[in-house]
Amino acid sequence: MFEWLFKYPPAAFSKGQIVWLAPFPAAWLFAALIAAALAPAWMLRRRPGPPIDVGPRRRLALWALQAAFLALLLVMLWQPALSVPTLRPGQNIIAVLVDDSRSMGVAEGGATRLERARRLLDDDLLGALGTRFQVRLYAFDSSLARIESTAQLKAVGQATHLGEALRAVAAEASAAPVGAVVLLSDGGDTRGGVPHEVIEELRARRLPVHAVGFGRERYERDLELAAVEIPARVLRSSRVAATVRLRQSGLARSRVRITVEEDGKTLASREIVLSAPEQSETLLFSSGEPGPHRLRFSASPAEGEENVRNNQLVRLLSVEDSRPRILYVEGEPRWEFKFIRRAALEDPALELTSLLRTTENKLYRQEVRDPKELEEGFPAAAEELFAFRGLVIGSVEADYFTPAQRQLIHDFADRRGGGLLFLGGRRALAESGWNRSPTAELLPVTLPARKGTFHRDRARAALTRSGADSLLCRLVEPPEANVERWKSLPALADYQEVGEPKPGALVLATVETPEGRTLPLLITQSYGRGRTAVFATGGSWRWQMLQPLSDVTHETFWQQLLRWLVSGSPGPVSASTPQPVLMDESRVVLRAEVRDKAYRPASDARVEARIQGPGGIAESLPLRAREDEPGVYEGEWNAPQAGAYSAEIHARRGDEELGRDLVLFRREDGVAEDFRSLQDRELLERLAEATGGRYWRPEEAARLPREITYSEAGLSVREMRDLWDMPALFLLALALRSAEWLLRRRWGAI
Amino acid sequence: MRLLAVCGALGLGLSLLAWQGRYWGLRQEVDNDDAPFPPDGNEKTEFVFARLRYPSVRFAWGFRGNWATDYWKADRQFVQGVRRLTRIHVRSVEQVVDLDSDEIYNWPWIYAVEVGHWDLTDSQCRRLRDYLLRGGFLMVDDFHGTWEWENFMASLRRVFPDRPVVDIDDKDPIFHVLYDLDERFQVPGIQYWYSGRIYEKDGIEPRWRAVYDDKGRIMVAICHNMDLGDAWEWADHPRYPEHYASLAYRIGINYIIYAMTH
Repeated sequence: MFEWLFKYPPAAFSKGQIVWLAPFPAAWLFAALIAAALAPAWMLRRRPGPPIDVGPRRRLALWALQAAFLALLLVMLWQPALSVPTLRPGQNIIAVLVDDSRSMGVAEGGATRLERARRLLDDDLLGALGTRFQVRLYAFDSSLARIESTAQLKAVGQATHLGEALRAVAAEASAAPVGAVVLLSDGGDTRGGVPHEVIEELRARRLPVHAVGFGRERYERDLELAAVEIPARVLRSSRVAATVRLRQSGLARSRVRITVEEDGKTLASREIVLSAPEQSETLLFSSGEPGPHRLRFSASPAEGEENVRNNQLVRLLSVEDSRPRILYVEGEPRWEFKFIRRAALEDPALELTSLLRTTENKLYRQEVRDPKELEEGFPAAAEELFAFRGLVIGSVEADYFTPAQRQLIHDFADRRGGGLLFLGGRRALAESGWNRSPTAELLPVTLPARKGTFHRDRARAALTRSGADSLLCRLVEPPEANVERWKSLPALADYQEVGEPKPGALVLATVETPEGRTLPLLITQSYGRGRTAVFATGGSWRWQMLQPLSDVTHETFWQQLLRWLVSGSPGPVSASTPQPVLMDESRVVLRAEVRDKAYRPASDARVEARIQGPGGIAESLPLRAREDEPGVYEGEWNAPQAGAYSAEIHARRGDEELGRDLVLFRREDGVAEDFRSLQDRELLERLAEATGGRYWRPEEAARLPREITYSEAGLSVREMRDLWDMPALFLLALALRSAEWLLRRRWGAI
Repeated sequence: MRLLAVCGALGLGLSLLAWQGRYWGLRQEVDNDDAPFPPDGNEKTEFVFARLRYPSVRFAWGFRGNWATDYWKADRQFVQGVRRLTRIHVRSVEQVVDLDSDEIYNWPWIYAVEVGHWDLTDSQCRRLRDYLLRGGFLMVDDFHGTWEWENFMASLRRVFPDRPVVDIDDKDPIFHVLYDLDERFQVPGIQYWYSGRIYEKDGIEPRWRAVYDDKGRIMVAICHNMDLGDAWEWADHPRYPEHYASLAYRIGINYIIYAMTH
């Protein structure tokens, strides 16, 4: 219909430009259009009444119709045409890329996706394209290969890398006149999409991708483990929260069991009810002993599920062997100090060093590593303070620290990425000038500008909604029982008013004062590279003394809070990989953020990854400094075979070792195609639209050879296509005149 | 039959009198209105000198109870020193506590005097054990000689049947947490003034002993054959030697800071 009305397909209009072929300047058309608008107005005004007079509104309508008709005639007179880039027949190559991965072997409606693609090519496309262009046929999975006929397609590829295939075609286009790409695929890219730089390269070459999508866009009944998110590394014996994202169709209200296991041993499992097309569930489990852990997450098959191979995923978890150090500075002997220390000492994953002002001039140090450590009191050098990953400041006056030390405290969170916790107390926070200190900026609350904020009155704690969701405050399971548990805790010995939480801060717990006021108790926020928190009391020791000996609430809470404080604090070298589990692919990107002992980015380091893998693989890979990110180094490596790999990344500056870090990755073969097995139409549409092509359903693809002509890639010329004789214009002219005639008839003005 | 009834009634009456006698002193001291009350006596503070009130073995009509020895002057005079010499926020007035209710758990440091005469009930032993294992700290003082030691141990063994009492090593942090107390000597009570004798009964040798928890932390600090309480109480007396009072203060302060740090 569109082509009948406008003579050419939409692609011609989207790629073409309107030009005027009449031998008059285009500016004259503008003048003529004004004249065409004025002429009927003058006529109507001069001859005030047709045989039967009409009112001003009807006269206006008549004027509009007449003016539009005249304008249309003028436009046609100026001979509009379409200047459109067109591929030269016989001189251009059309690259036809056929997805040859395993997911194309999925049978639907009596034929596999590949069989349908093959039929489309053999019956329609290849012949039609061949009459006007040279056609090159390619098969692709994780790489691209030229083939001679569709008989070579087998649908056995273990992975689909659309990006790699298109990158290769784009490279070929630099040496050959490739006019367009026809992509036949289900869009199930196992890397999750086409990289931005590949799309940019195709756009730069103006190479349109016409995507023909195969495969069902949704299953009738299927459940897929779409993603599992866990931290890459945790402390030993940590409670780990895994967020399991499930995608389902046709299985709403079904009950399934999600499980995490290691070496066949179940770590956690629970039954859930499927409710939405996509939903996230949390699984809690203990991280176990230090070392690498391969965790298998799975969902039990739902009744009548069509594809059960996508019900499991593997993730890697590195459990740290180190004991992160925390420095606790306390300004006066008090019970909170004693009981926090006792809780921390019970935790094998933490090392709490403390510095206590017992008298005006004496400090008592505990858990120092050598007799000289902290001998001079609170560190004055970044190197000394930044050796700790967490810092707790108790009931200490702000001016106990020098301005330089207060700057260090700021940099500890901001630059070093450490965790900083302020406790309530009679010398803490607003009581001793922290509200007037520049360090106040660090705090997740805006401290009151007055004293008298610390009260030695008992107050009960309660969780907020955020606290109920947070693992930091989880004393018992399930979460609902935890909320009740908090309500039943003994009252705190004291509380402190800490003002309003800042935007972005999270209030996890509150206290109810004897007067019935509700005040923030535990507030956290991210700050710079680190995190800060306020626990506005010095009286949680009552949770230990006022509860049965067997109760571990106090220890659990403090161990979790202290672990939270340090768990995100990086070392001087922080290694990572964006994709720790390589599903049917080999390329791994290793990344390291390198800092010196004062945690300033070290861009002049020598960084090397020592990779070890299955079968005795041992290789070194130098990482290159990124120019756009100071202190960041990257390198790419190909994992030659399936199995578990570790990369220890060393950073040196001259003879000085800046640090080292370990990153784990794993290559899994024969699994990627089990996921995303539905057609990813959205991906194909986005790809086609971004490159100037179009998404086609197989049944409409017969029209593709005609539309593909309009392309600026390859060897193309601009052709002029007349537009003045479009049927749409004549129909419009007829409609305008008919409308005027009908109106006049109706008004009796004829 | 009548004789039997009279004897029974007499026995019951005597038992009641004996029971009352044990607690006579307690009531007397608790109700003691003679103690001057400082203006800041009700201040809410972090640390309070908690004096343990316990039942004594000694039965004496009108006897006020061993727990109250040196009460209240020793307590208040000692905490003045703690206030002056440390950064601990201390209440000027002591708190009398007992082991008959869970209120004891609100006072993580308790002091018991003349424990050579204590006689804890089974439920008090259970509560004291629970208190100490949760993190409480008990300092005992002013008992002397073999007889009082045995009597002290009779109750302590019911608190901790399986934990030994050991001499505290000189290197233990409790002797170094604030003051280095390597040079310790026997601190006599006020009887030294008129007797000229440092020791009492057969308690010639001062012993600093303790019961430790499973993590090697002192739960019960035992000052045997010395009288720190008297030294605190009479520290302002011109005839009581300063060096005894001084050591008593330093030991007491060390014990408090140890309890608040370990």
